[in-house]
Amino acid sequence: MDDLLSRALDLAEVRGAGYADIRIVRTVQERISLRNGVVDTLSVDESLGFGVRVLVNGCWGFASSHDLTGKEIDRITALAVDIAKASGTLSKGAVDLGPPVTSRGTYTTPIEEDPFTISTDHKLALLMDADQRMAAVKGVRSRQGNMVFIKEEKTFANSEGAHVEQTVYEAGGGIAANAVGNNEIQRRSYPQSMGRQQGCAGWEYITAMDLPGNAERVATEAVALLTADPCPSGIVTDIIIGGAQLALQIHESCGHAIELDRVLGAEAAYAGTSFLTTDKLNNFRYASDVVNITADSLRVPGLGTYGWDDEGVPSQSTPIVTNGEFVGYLMSRETATGLGLTSNGCVRAASWNRIPMIRMTNVSIEPGTWKLDDLIADTDDGIFLEMNRSWSIDDKRYNFQFGAEVGYEIKNGKLGRLLRNTTYTGITPEFWNSCDAVCDADHWQMWGTPNCGKGQPGQIGHTGHGAAPARFRNVRVGVL
Amino acid sequence: MIGRDRCEAVLSQTLDQPNIREADAYLSVQDLSLTRFASNDIHQNVSHGNAQLHIRVVVGQRQGRATTNDLSDGGIQKAAKLAHQNALLMPEDPDFNGLPIPGSPPQVATHDSDTESYGPASRSQVVASVCRLAEASGLEASGFFRNGTQETAVLSTKGARAYHAGTFAGLLVMAISNTSAGWSKGGSWRVEDIDSGALATEAVDKALRGQNPRTVEPGEYTVVLDPYAVDDMLGSLSLYGMGAQAVQEERSWMNGLIGERAMSPQISIWDDGADLEGWPVPFDAEGVPRQHTQLIQEGVVLDPVHNSYTAGKEGRRSTGHQFAFTGPPVASNLFMQTGDSSLEKMIASTQRGLYITRFHYTRLVHNRNCVMTGMTRDGTFLIEDGQLSYPVKDLRFTQSYVEALAGVEAVGSQSKLVLNEVGFATKVPALKIGRFNFTGVTV
Repeated sequence: MDDLLSRALDLAEVRGAGYADIRIVRTVQERISLRNGVVDTLSVDESLGFGVRVLVNGCWGFASSHDLTGKEIDRITALAVDIAKASGTLSKGAVDLGPPVTSRGTYTTPIEEDPFTISTDHKLALLMDADQRMAAVKGVRSRQGNMVFIKEEKTFANSEGAHVEQTVYEAGGGIAANAVGNNEIQRRSYPQSMGRQQGCAGWEYITAMDLPGNAERVATEAVALLTADPCPSGIVTDIIIGGAQLALQIHESCGHAIELDRVLGAEAAYAGTSFLTTDKLNNFRYASDVVNITADSLRVPGLGTYGWDDEGVPSQSTPIVTNGEFVGYLMSRETATGLGLTSNGCVRAASWNRIPMIRMTNVSIEPGTWKLDDLIADTDDGIFLEMNRSWSIDDKRYNFQFGAEVGYEIKNGKLGRLLRNTTYTGITPEFWNSCDAVCDADHWQMWGTPNCGKGQPGQIGHTGHGAAPARFRNVRVGVL
Repeated sequence: MIGRDRCEAVLSQTLDQPNIREADAYLSVQDLSLTRFASNDIHQNVSHGNAQLHIRVVVGQRQGRATTNDLSDGGIQKAAKLAHQNALLMPEDPDFNGLPIPGSPPQVATHDSDTESYGPASRSQVVASVCRLAEASGLEASGFFRNGTQETAVLSTKGARAYHAGTFAGLLVMAISNTSAGWSKGGSWRVEDIDSGALATEAVDKALRGQNPRTVEPGEYTVVLDPYAVDDMLGSLSLYGMGAQAVQEERSWMNGLIGERAMSPQISIWDDGADLEGWPVPFDAEGVPRQHTQLIQEGVVLDPVHNSYTAGKEGRRSTGHQFAFTGPPVASNLFMQTGDSSLEKMIASTQRGLYITRFHYTRLVHNRNCVMTGMTRDGTFLIEDGQLSYPVKDLRFTQSYVEALAGVEAVGSQSKLVLNEVGFATKVPALKIGRFNFTGVTV
């Protein structure tokens, strides 16, 4: 392995690269999905390859291959250099990476039980048990359950002397029940919507979910939603957002907005830019003073947890919003240097064949002081809503609209009737400045988003978001 | 590209593994190069190749799967063994009727050697010319230029044998001023079809015309949609309901509408995997020929597309729409019937409305009638008295796409191929729609 790494780095230098790095990545992914009691997928996917990234005259080139041989290393390295030279056709200036990165070491996700040692029979039995409990609830039309286990072994080396080896484990699982009737379609998911809850963890993460123990409740709620009253339409009220939904709110309206490459325009033609322009750093009230948001790559089991990023920068914690003030970005070496800062280690590639780019780590709201029961009791009139059903935000991360799977009316400090088709909308800084309460650590949980899209060619990133329920005042709900 | 012979050799070797009696193998080989630019500067420039071998082993009514990109003897052997083991661990699926009956996919010639060999220097020159044009107008250009090849091959113990090699090229241009943006996108299997000058001009013109937008109030408007916006509508209708799995689980917008006239008689939509006007792949991941499938006929909703599993449940044959190795059937090469109007006529006939270039970040709000929310983007203008009066700030809509297509008042006579990133293509005209519901406006 080391021979191949140095072969690429040495050849890149000979061919004129001022900087080079190489990642060799082997990924094994086990996927099990159940659909209406039938095993829809039982698959093991393996992928091995490498990517070489070079700077020639300050311009980037990247090439990759699945053929891990010395001859192919030579070809791909030469191709990366040629591509970098072509990039020089249109360049505004040489990329400056700032101080050299010379990290060395190894990292392995701390897990209690390797999920790949658990028998397939056992995994299937657990999903089947949950499925049968959902099927037993009258009115359920379709059910899904799935598990995903990933082991990624990655070696990174650069021409500055860095050499790190990492083994990252992920485990994910979830169930969902759909009910149809009364000209309605309703879904309830557990523990997370969009398929599953996922974290950097082992088999213990799945057993802790207790999918069978939550199956009947999930199915019953889906059926109950069919005849629930609709969310009041077009009114302005107070809302308490549950942790799973707040995690996605953070992801879309804060996490993406603080990606410095997006701020500088790198994603303009795809998902857009960000309203958090560089003049606002340390000079903008993003949220109310009860809001503190941190980006870190240290908190297991967050999906943004690792030893070093894909530029070899160590994992670390960065304040993003402190008492409501905007104070930090997610940065790469190149973008940080442009602001006179140093990278905070937020660069990852989705695979060996994708170029590393700024990705969210674990972008989390820090726990507040409230107990959820007290917060509900303190709310005269409003809606509690939880678990994402739809999400959309504009190309500057200002105007958003989200839908939740389930809502409950709050009247005189108590949860009341069940509400279906709950939606809310707002403008990001106005919305976060309306937050007046965040629940405490007892209610705080790390949520996983294993489906974050960014980049062209597209990359699916895995990000983490710690969140507790929080209250927002005077929010427009029931948008139809 | 590794070529037909190598593809077929890999697939044959896969099916020749011990213990495999019934199986199919699907090989996807892609070479992709992409030059990405932003702020009139190339900031990413990449190339990658990968070959993924997917194996499905069938034991009775059980299917086990494995995927690998290790095409060595050992890699193939290991993957085949894993797939077989997985099949043995599966419970029987009473709805699985075995591998599909093979057909004879048509040969579709969409490989262009110039497109395959188009290199980084050529891409950079095109990008530079686009950026110079934007810069000359005081704008910044962002986007990408990509090209590559896609080989797809399927072999099964039931007799399926299919191979297709296609090339692709695409240019996306976004021109940006301090207060506006314009957008254009071109795609084809031939790089020579990409008219970079025209695409750059289209984006630049819109960005210039869109400067200093004003706010208009949300509410119902008549809309005139560029083909880019119509592409989003077709993509969403496909994703949320044109496949039989969604219909069988009663979560499709088609449920309750099949056989009904749910859209304007001016609307006809079909999928055709062999039509050279789209981005064709003539067979699916099971090796079944992709049939021309009429989905909407003069406003009447017809049947969804099938894979062999969903078709088997209804005692019919697959329409050849297994999009990927796993997952549901998908209509992915969609066409909308053209009409007799034009953008100019549509605008001229509108008393008050909005002209919209494209939609952004659209997501399903409710399955019934495919209610979507999203934003307008990159060129939105108020129409007053038959003319574009001024640019407006982007609006959020919450609107049923089915009901919108029921209110179509005019269809463009020209259609545009919109080739999306994952091999999903539509060929669509501009539309004029009587009522479209906007529920918010951005800052």
